[in-house]
Amino acid sequence: MNKFKRHVSGLSLVLALLMVLTACGGGSKGGEEASGTQASGGESANSGDTPEIVMPFFVLNGIPEDMQAVNDEINKITKEKIGATVKLMPISYGTYGQQTNLMLTGNEQVDLMVVGTWFNYTTQVAKNQLLPLDDLLAQYGQDIVKTLGDNYISAGKVKGKTYGVATMRDLADMYGLVIPKDVLDKYQIKTEDIKTFDDVGNLLATIKKNEPDSTPLVPFGPGDSLLDNYMTYDNLGDKLGVLPGDATDLKVVDWFEQPEYADLLNKIRSWYEAGFIMKDAATNRDSGLELMKAGRGDVLLTRIKPGYAEQESRLIGKPVVTIPLTQPQARTSSVANMMWGIPRNAKYPDKAMQMLNLMFTDKDVANLLAWGIEGKHYVVKSDGVAGYPDGVDQNNSKYNLNQGWMFGNQFLTYVWEGDSPDLWKQLQAFNDSAVPSKALGFTFDQTPVKTEVAAVQNVLNQYKMALEWGTVDPAKVLPEFRKKLKDAGIDKIIAEKQKQLDEWAASK
Amino acid sequence: MGTTLWQRTWRNVARNKAMYVMVIPGLLYLLVNNYLPMLGLVIAFKDVDFAKGIWHSDWIGFKNFEYLFKTSDAWLITRNTLGYNAVFIVVNFAFSIAIAIFLNEITSKFFSRFYQSVLLLPYLISMIIVSYLVFALLSQDTGMMNHTILPLFGIKEISWYNEPVYWPFILVIVNLWKNAGFLCVVFLAAIIGIDKEYYEAATLDGASKWKQIRLITIPLISPVIVMMLLLFIGRIFYADFGLFFQVPMESGPIMNATNVIDTYVYRGLMQIGDIGMSAAAGCYQSIVGFVLVLLSNYVVRKINKDQALF
Amino acid sequence: MTSQNRLIQWTAHAFLMLIALACILPFLLLFMSSIADEQAILRDGYSLFPAEFSDAAYRYLARESTQLIRAYGITVLITVVGTSVGLAITAMLAYPLSQKAFGPRKPLTFIVFFTILFNGGLVPTYLVYTQYFDMKNTIWALIVPNLLMSGFNILLMRTFFLTSVPDAVIESAGLDGAGQFRTFVSIVLPLSTPILATVGLFQGIGYWNDWFNGVIFITNPAYFSIQNILNRILMDIQFLSSSNMSSHVGDAMSSIPGTTVRMAIAVIGVVPILIAYPFFQKYFVKGIMIGAVKG
Repeated sequence: MNKFKRHVSGLSLVLALLMVLTACGGGSKGGEEASGTQASGGESANSGDTPEIVMPFFVLNGIPEDMQAVNDEINKITKEKIGATVKLMPISYGTYGQQTNLMLTGNEQVDLMVVGTWFNYTTQVAKNQLLPLDDLLAQYGQDIVKTLGDNYISAGKVKGKTYGVATMRDLADMYGLVIPKDVLDKYQIKTEDIKTFDDVGNLLATIKKNEPDSTPLVPFGPGDSLLDNYMTYDNLGDKLGVLPGDATDLKVVDWFEQPEYADLLNKIRSWYEAGFIMKDAATNRDSGLELMKAGRGDVLLTRIKPGYAEQESRLIGKPVVTIPLTQPQARTSSVANMMWGIPRNAKYPDKAMQMLNLMFTDKDVANLLAWGIEGKHYVVKSDGVAGYPDGVDQNNSKYNLNQGWMFGNQFLTYVWEGDSPDLWKQLQAFNDSAVPSKALGFTFDQTPVKTEVAAVQNVLNQYKMALEWGTVDPAKVLPEFRKKLKDAGIDKIIAEKQKQLDEWAASK
Repeated sequence: MGTTLWQRTWRNVARNKAMYVMVIPGLLYLLVNNYLPMLGLVIAFKDVDFAKGIWHSDWIGFKNFEYLFKTSDAWLITRNTLGYNAVFIVVNFAFSIAIAIFLNEITSKFFSRFYQSVLLLPYLISMIIVSYLVFALLSQDTGMMNHTILPLFGIKEISWYNEPVYWPFILVIVNLWKNAGFLCVVFLAAIIGIDKEYYEAATLDGASKWKQIRLITIPLISPVIVMMLLLFIGRIFYADFGLFFQVPMESGPIMNATNVIDTYVYRGLMQIGDIGMSAAAGCYQSIVGFVLVLLSNYVVRKINKDQALF
Repeated sequence: MTSQNRLIQWTAHAFLMLIALACILPFLLLFMSSIADEQAILRDGYSLFPAEFSDAAYRYLARESTQLIRAYGITVLITVVGTSVGLAITAMLAYPLSQKAFGPRKPLTFIVFFTILFNGGLVPTYLVYTQYFDMKNTIWALIVPNLLMSGFNILLMRTFFLTSVPDAVIESAGLDGAGQFRTFVSIVLPLSTPILATVGLFQGIGYWNDWFNGVIFITNPAYFSIQNILNRILMDIQFLSSSNMSSHVGDAMSSIPGTTVRMAIAVIGVVPILIAYPFFQKYFVKGIMIGAVKG
């Protein structure tokens, strides 16, 4: 008996082994077939009745507890309007890129997802992981095109085809400084007097003179250099070859070779040496707002937009003002860093586009995604702005996603309490006032020069932060930086970029 | 003589049925978990295009490997990776063997347990947190070194994250601090496994403690030491990403002293996110490790056949 | 006790005490920072004696307490199941590899060793487990991949069986008529508690600290393990510091929890292991006793 048992268990293990082996063979074949047919659209739905759109997006503040409740509410609307349900798939942003890339690689059903240059968008396009959306947009996405306008739609194009659709939010870049109001008042500085980079230096000098122990300028966030938050040019995606702000033609130049760059570095270095800048700026891992709150500094440079001051004032706990240092400029990068795309793995590309269109047109869907369920997560106050219901606050709200800018048309949602009630009008005006870059709509495909890009990225990592925070002397280090960039092949990247840009211009 | 080999094998199977059955679950697992994914190494030689699927993408030879060698930093990252790991092995082994031997000498049960628990603490903390702790020490504005320790000796403040000269030492110390507890547990288990009779006999013969350590403990745990050495040599071209990426806080001026192959690859591919290129890096690292291990195993085999791994 | 023995004791204590301090002090710093006031840390830096205390960090984490408790449950489950199953399989594979009577032990050792050197990488592993085994968003994805056992543990155990379990003991068991499996279970394993405890400890810590499998296989929050939740916050900061995202998404900055929260996270992750650790230590000592008795 005992012996018999042992034989049986041995046999079953062998069988299991065989099963694994055959399963593997069969599986890989299945996978290939699937990848071939998937693009043609969903044949048989999961359970037969309503198609379900799988929709991953990233979240900044953890996954809200009531995500499912909100999802159910949205399904009620979508079932009626587009004959489909959605499966919202929130993923925290630190892992979003990796998780979605794996899903795309693994051929899992993903119908509509957040894509963008933050998450290797151009590589996804180059590797054929995203579907071209032009036909779908024409058929189901008319409202999207109407809302965004051709300029901003064009930012999602790669080699003439659209792969990503931006959301209606602040789509232009404008950089400026954030400073508490009481500091301005104390030194009787008028906001109108600060217009240029040099004015910032004077401001810092004034503060430093009165508080010799302080280092007034703090970084905005981990990994941000000072010049990341003061861009006067179109970075053409990656700063490796840029279009100067005052460019009249489409000549790609090496930003790091520009006299203007050297000039800025010298200024920053003098600020650092004079003690205007937090010494640990280049290795900082904290939020600049927290640093400001803790009194480590009073000034930071960042990307600003209408309503930004109110938002930051709430976070810091005292009124701050924003002072613009650059003109708002619309660039591909400011639009393409976050868009929606439909992957090759999509089972229901048609429904996905209809859903996207719905997010651009349906006020209820937009508000559900942004603020949750009315009456439960938010209430509409008398002046038409939304706020927390009684007994609910930021800390105990079960739906505090607060990412209206991510879903379709943010301007359809309610303005939150504390913001100016006409915030969306201001933002619309901001977008409209932005000067479009000459290269708006051009997306650089790095794949032909990826060997060089990998090397150049490493050089950037080594020098950029230290130079752009003034921790090292540009007189000594800048030539070294430039030489290493050349060695790493930045010229080849720029030449490739110029070639692609010329082709793009010719095809326009 | 194929039949005799078969016969011999079959006889061995028949005689050791139980052992053959015992290895099945483990081997099956390795097959699925390790060997099956290895087929994926082909990605390193392909220009992956998802319209064609991974298997049907175009072969591009060694193009994905180019970026590892084309840079002027290729020599630097190779030197750093191998150099640091070699030093880590020597320092960590020396320290953890010493700790294990000392631990074994502690007669007080309380202290023995106390030391053991405490030693493992650093191993439990994630590298990101370790980087904060290091920052707490070395931060220029607020760090303890510059604030409290250096002034005691009348030394001026040091800009730690900008001075590459200190970093080889910092990294070696942090690595030792983090991993000594782990290695020490292994060696301690080996020492505990030594038959007490050897020591009793030695004590009767009047051998001193030092002599016992030298002549009994070390030789008897040497198979474990050699095996661990071979394992570590196999991974010598893989750097501890957390240590080299998190702890230096990505500070540029010290990067010549802190850049290793793993961090180089990570930084280079951050934007491109090319799976072919990252697979190529892994492949290259594995092959270097493989060659080095074969060499060292060959040397070990020459010296003592029993201690060779295969 | 001879004077020489006493000297050894004192040297050992001095040496170990120094190292123990080096291990405790940073951990103490970690703990103190978790109960310090955020603003004070940002202003004055970390300190063993913070000027102001605050429980804000733990209150912040308490907000997610329901999720944290569930996640602890998941972690305990995968740690217990994974460690015991992994330990069994590891030992069963390692033992034959240590026995001369087992014909293919050298090639099989090489096969095991090879897995330490080469791995297919993230993407192929992901494809195997999601496409052939459909483990995505299941508890299995947290147990099976990477950690069930590693070649390292197998070889470690093999070497231990090879050196610390005398051949004579095994042979005499065989002569007494015990089958190979029974010899393994009732003779070899009891003699090997130190290594079982060691490998068990490594596997246990491995499971407890594993966040990576969660990152790649789990999108459903119901299956988040504790490290998965805790690491999410650290990964977010990591991502911000290596992308240029922060200035574009100002909201992201406001969601970064401060230093104290990060420290509290580390404390919460480590403390349960510290509580469970003495359990493993028992087996270290037991090993000695049996080792002493067996001769």
